[in-house]
Amino acid sequence: MNRRKFLTLSLATALVLPLGAWATDYRKTNPDTWTANTVDDAVKALYGDVTLIKSSDVVLKMAKISSNGTQIPLKVKTDLDVKSIAIFQDVNPESSVAVFTVHEGMIVEYSMKIKMARSGTVTVVAEGKDGKFYKTSRFIETKAGCEG
Amino acid sequence: MSSIKLKAKAKDGVVKVKSKLKHAMTTYASAKKKGIEANFITHVIAKVGDKVVYELSSSQFISQDPILKFKFYGKKGEVLELAWTDMSGEMVKESKKIK
Repeated sequence: MNRRKFLTLSLATALVLPLGAWATDYRKTNPDTWTANTVDDAVKALYGDVTLIKSSDVVLKMAKISSNGTQIPLKVKTDLDVKSIAIFQDVNPESSVAVFTVHEGMIVEYSMKIKMARSGTVTVVAEGKDGKFYKTSRFIETKAGCEG
Repeated sequence: MSSIKLKAKAKDGVVKVKSKLKHAMTTYASAKKKGIEANFITHVIAKVGDKVVYELSSSQFISQDPILKFKFYGKKGEVLELAWTDMSGEMVKESKKIK
């Protein structure tokens, strides 16, 4: 009886909890990040006043030249033990592009395509579990073609 | 209108996922030009059971119809569930068995 009750209860809670109950939506927790106009401001809004350490352990793979500013492929990779990874660029009206939340046991290897108004620098910041912040940046040349 | 294409393949304990989310991803600037409201995906989450395997908070600067690729530790036969939420509050879910 008791066991049955427990089972029904836990099932009910599982149903009630929304899909993102354990998740962090950085748009809600750090709204200022998404309206910041410079990379420094965006990093400040997201992680606070931190020093970024240049590191080759955070890998940002992208072409040097892209002919289409609306479709710039990039790949982010790291073997470091990180909590989150953020992507910024310095030419669009707002700086933040995306923030990945890294959960326990995840492989950090993400690919996607981003938009850029003109040639500029893409910066990737990784928040390590050791409390340090690592960054990598790359310059990319692209044609104007982005409406953003 | 909006849909998700999802592919997940397991090899040596690592699942490779390719997904295409159909979405216009209108930026504030282009929305102003066209006289429509800006709308873009703000949050993407993928799960296997209760375990979160991918999570992204995104902005308007991700390309139209975003293609997201990622990897995680998993097995064949498990069910991967991916969901996105956009500015208007619309939420779309899709699930697929890992091949």
